[in-house]
Amino acid sequence: MPIYFDNAATSWPKPPAVRAALDEYFSDAGGNPGRSGHQMSIAAARLVENSREALAQMFNAEDPSRIVFTHNATHALNLAIYGLVRPGDHVVTTSMEHNSVMRPLRHLETTGVYVTMVPCRPDGTLDVSRLNDAMRPGTRLVVTTHGSNVVGTLMPIEAIAVLARDRNINYLVDASQTAGAISIDVQKTGIDLMAFSGHKGLVGPTGTGGLYIRDGVMLSPLLRGGTGSDSAHETQPQFLPDMLESGTLNVAGIAGLGAGVRYLQEIGIEAVTEHGRKLVSKFVAGLHEIPGINVYGPTDVSKQCGVVSFNISDAVPSEVGLLLDEHFGIMARTGLHCAPAAHHTIGTFPAGTVRFSFSWFNTLAEIETSLEALGKIAGWACKNEVKTWMA
Amino acid sequence: MDGLISFFASHHAIRAETVLKRNGLAARLIPGPKELSPNCGVALRFEYAQRENVSAILAAKSVRIDGIHFYRPRTDDWN
Repeated sequence: MPIYFDNAATSWPKPPAVRAALDEYFSDAGGNPGRSGHQMSIAAARLVENSREALAQMFNAEDPSRIVFTHNATHALNLAIYGLVRPGDHVVTTSMEHNSVMRPLRHLETTGVYVTMVPCRPDGTLDVSRLNDAMRPGTRLVVTTHGSNVVGTLMPIEAIAVLARDRNINYLVDASQTAGAISIDVQKTGIDLMAFSGHKGLVGPTGTGGLYIRDGVMLSPLLRGGTGSDSAHETQPQFLPDMLESGTLNVAGIAGLGAGVRYLQEIGIEAVTEHGRKLVSKFVAGLHEIPGINVYGPTDVSKQCGVVSFNISDAVPSEVGLLLDEHFGIMARTGLHCAPAAHHTIGTFPAGTVRFSFSWFNTLAEIETSLEALGKIAGWACKNEVKTWMA
Repeated sequence: MDGLISFFASHHAIRAETVLKRNGLAARLIPGPKELSPNCGVALRFEYAQRENVSAILAAKSVRIDGIHFYRPRTDDWN
């Protein structure tokens, strides 16, 4: 069995109930939700709406219609950003964002949108007062990650939401790394929009994600088309979720995602978070005992999601990844993790880092095995100078 | 294997592996060394002596490559 520590890319394994839900859709429900009145269409619609309800409950949305399904978190972030921001608007973000936020913003800059990227500290933490100083008249949107996909640093989303709300600025949270792993109450926190991935912490299939939209926030759609509703009109419906869900949904994937959410709710998100923190604490403490290993990110595990980045000083990240994979069966990610500014922030650009990311299914025994492997690799690296890169 | 091909995207890396193997050539995907190219997460190891042949085969199949490098990493000596 491989040891899978790449859950920040996509989680593995998935609970058996997720696989069973896919099978249930293909063998029984089968139809296209909301398109037809027959029982198989209704059965498919019921699967989608059950998943929507489970997500609304998990995040405490006002009602399930405030959750729209997307292909992934990138799609949800694009929907939120392009749906709100217009030329002349100003957007505030941080230096810890993934390219799924930065690339849309950099593109919008070429259309007359102003973007301020607030630098974070070398451990990835944000000085909220700097973010406050960056807001100005004309700021339309603040967008930050909830948990960094590079070092796991958690952003103070409650404090940011207060600042944004005071100035009537919409706040979009990228919860790709935290949804399903850390409890989020969108109403209590006071965030306006939250993009999430369905296939990471929420343990659903790839090809699923979604966006929470607070009641009162209006977005224009990225796509317009058939919704199965309001079919007499050739203009897009103006109500959620249909307005933002044109085209046939990924019903099988969404059914699986719903099963994943229910699986996590049975365990309890607090228990999932606690397990993740145990894994991170043990791993980081073990890394600090290995000579020649540098660990990045926060030193307080309560300010971190299940993502840890490090480097072995005598080795480059891709070497470490290769040895872990080929000789120890440990799956980790190396490099820049689609977040170049985050690596400038923590001082690891352009080489990047080795990243371990955990899930509910990882064990303390797997952490021990990987620490032993890393000890061997670090020892080997300092004895064998790099001599063979290029000729 | 002492050669390495870097790519702009994993689409082309996976295609290259398939195409080279279909032509009976040795090929193996590895994590892309950032020192050689920042462009893609995976790179393809191959026999450097075959580079002209490999270039021609990949070009004929519309596989886009970033670069071809002589590369024999020290990780080959791991034991």
